[in-house]
Amino acid sequence: MTKTDQPIINYDRCDLCGKCVAACPVNALHMTADGPVFNQPLTCTYCTICEDICPQGAIRAPLTVRWAS
Amino acid sequence: MIDERYFKPIPLISSLSSTTQGMIAERGFLRELQAGETLVIEGMPAEYAYFLVSGSVRVIRMRRDGRMQVLARFGPGAPLNIISLLNQKKVNRASIETLTTTALLVLSASDFDYLLSHAPDFSKALLGIFAERIATITDLAAGLSLYSVRARLAKFLIELADKPDAASGWTQDEIAAHIGTVRDVVGRLLREFEAEGLIKRSRQQISLIDREGLFNQIEHEDR
Ligand code: SF4
Ligand code: SF4
Repeated sequence: MTKTDQPIINYDRCDLCGKCVAACPVNALHMTADGPVFNQPLTCTYCTICEDICPQGAIRAPLTVRWAS
Repeated sequence: MIDERYFKPIPLISSLSSTTQGMIAERGFLRELQAGETLVIEGMPAEYAYFLVSGSVRVIRMRRDGRMQVLARFGPGAPLNIISLLNQKKVNRASIETLTTTALLVLSASDFDYLLSHAPDFSKALLGIFAERIATITDLAAGLSLYSVRARLAKFLIELADKPDAASGWTQDEIAAHIGTVRDVVGRLLREFEAEGLIKRSRQQISLIDREGLFNQIEHEDR
């Protein structure tokens, strides 16, 4: 489990299918033997496509809702 | 023996008689999990009842096509896995996964049964919880027919922004489960709301910009 301002990956759920890596439009993810990692974290735009495509629900891109000040 | 201060965040238990609380303190135990751990696995025997002391969890189920689906999300005070235990088959009906560091009060299936038959206030409090959940489902069903998904999303965003302690950590799947739709629709509507100047999205944040415009989405359909 990684916690940054990128989506959070739960490696216990990941079955290494690689769909998130293939789907990321900016190649922010890279596949390793343990699962996807952010090789280019700064390029991640938080588009949430990887969260959407992951069949295992292993990626979460949480949001906070607030009133604009 | 559980310290009874852990009962405070769980209204179902803190409202019980001291005798029943004593029974729970004696029989229950505490469990702490990190974010992303699986508490309950769908299809496995239901062995424990859980009561959320702190943190949050999501209830998930595997769909036939092998994709995971979010069914609900719960915060402190919620009883979990109760229906699976009450069901004759005693099989977990869905999986439960922690979203944050989570503390739970745990009762084994046999202790849960013991309390049901020896502590009428416990049974009554559980019935109250079920009544509430049925009411919530009824409200959701009524909302599905009364309001468009656009109005339901606007309403839910306003509710979240008004409760800062509950407004963090929501994924689009979880929002969709809560308002009775699917993630794709939530994604599309958020893009529409942004294009219409009602909200602004920046990485992990959805800022509600146009209060009146958002309320209009709901009131428009109330007329
Ligand atoms: S959120 Fe978008 S940009 Fe970031 S890793 Fe996922 S798919 Fe790539
Ligand atoms: S799509 Fe999900 S399951 Fe597949 S590699 Fe990515 S994180 Fe793992």
